[in-house]
Amino acid sequence: MVRVKSRYLLCEINVSDRRDLLKLDDRAVAGSVKAAVARTHGDYGAALCSIRFCVKYLNAHTGIVFLRFHKGFYKLLWSALPFITSIECRGQIIPCFLNCLHVGGTIRTCQKFLIRYNTRQLHQMLPKYKNKVEEKRKIQEAILSCSLTGGGNKALEDELESEEEDDE
Amino acid sequence: MSVFMDLNVLFSADRSRLQSLVETAAHLGFSTVAINYVFEPTTKKKQEVPSPVPISELIGHLPVVQGRSRPIKVLNRLTVVMSEASHFRPNATEYRAFDLLAIQPTTEKLFHTTCMLCDVDIICISVTEKLPFFFKRAPINGAIDRGVVFEVSYASALRDSTMRRYTIANAVCLMESCKGKNVIVSSAAEKALELRGPYDIINLGALFGLSDADSKEAVSSTCRAVLLHAETRKTASGIVYTRISQQDTLQDCVGSEAPAAKRPKPT
Repeated sequence: MVRVKSRYLLCEINVSDRRDLLKLDDRAVAGSVKAAVARTHGDYGAALCSIRFCVKYLNAHTGIVFLRFHKGFYKLLWSALPFITSIECRGQIIPCFLNCLHVGGTIRTCQKFLIRYNTRQLHQMLPKYKNKVEEKRKIQEAILSCSLTGGGNKALEDELESEEEDDE
Repeated sequence: MSVFMDLNVLFSADRSRLQSLVETAAHLGFSTVAINYVFEPTTKKKQEVPSPVPISELIGHLPVVQGRSRPIKVLNRLTVVMSEASHFRPNATEYRAFDLLAIQPTTEKLFHTTCMLCDVDIICISVTEKLPFFFKRAPINGAIDRGVVFEVSYASALRDSTMRRYTIANAVCLMESCKGKNVIVSSAAEKALELRGPYDIINLGALFGLSDADSKEAVSSTCRAVLLHAETRKTASGIVYTRISQQDTLQDCVGSEAPAAKRPKPT
């Protein structure tokens, strides 16, 4: 009856150099979000951030991160996210920015959106590989095998990162 | 689904930087981007208004907008930083090459003249300094009636803490006087990393004092209104436009373009 509700923010981390993405880890992202909120909203923001904030999922290959916030003030904390200009990880400073794609009430809805989003990304990548038959076949297989249950999502992300690396 | 536009992307001579900027904007979901040439005339020497580099030279292949099937549209825009009334010459021929015209007034009197008289599309509110003048309702309402919009840009807020304070202070002042209408929020981005996604900017508008609906309008429908206003400015209220066709050199077409965001001007 009384259910604890949160908001899950699906964000994408954009970097200028794709190899920097692999160096990220969830504690670094959490630390930089807390620092940005403290800088923008002061002690009040830092206190709100400590209530139910955590990084639920981070995919270093595609740069997708799920952030969980308390439902009552996720907007205030969300408004501090554009001010993140870099993430510090293991002594290295990676310049990047966060782009919020979707806000959901549960992880499941965010995952559904993510699968649709990744499918769209694969569709967009398809015309780039007109001449390379092998990779095209792999992308088409990955698109057809997307599903909510099981390894569909993982197959997508493997394809995504291997194609992106080939692209370089 | 609404179209999101970012009408202020600073021009830099570095082609690859512009290319990566436009690609990032397309990836984030912006359907239109306007490359801004800032022109700051000084009284000391006569300066040329910069002429815009044609888009096809600048960026080879226009990337497709994320979530849509069309490539991103790139426009040209000129911003004149005015410190004196003589800096902006109306109907100057150099302005014809730009799709959008903007003015950044620096004194109260200039702000008043730009709002009521000058023939521009956008009035920029400077964010790098505390505004030396207060906003008055009269010129702002005059500008809203004419269809001119006010612009707040957020890239300097991302760089520095004092800039952030000035940006928020100036933006909040503006929102108080104009009640949230006719405002656009844009980045004045020089690098690809200074752009932000449309939903993030909508949330930033809430920080500036805009309501949720007004904030979303500030990135989508008001920007579209600016583009329509610019077209009407070029084509005499949108009634007559000329098009150079392949067969003849000049062909006068009389077509009625009815921009929904504008009232008919008495000719």
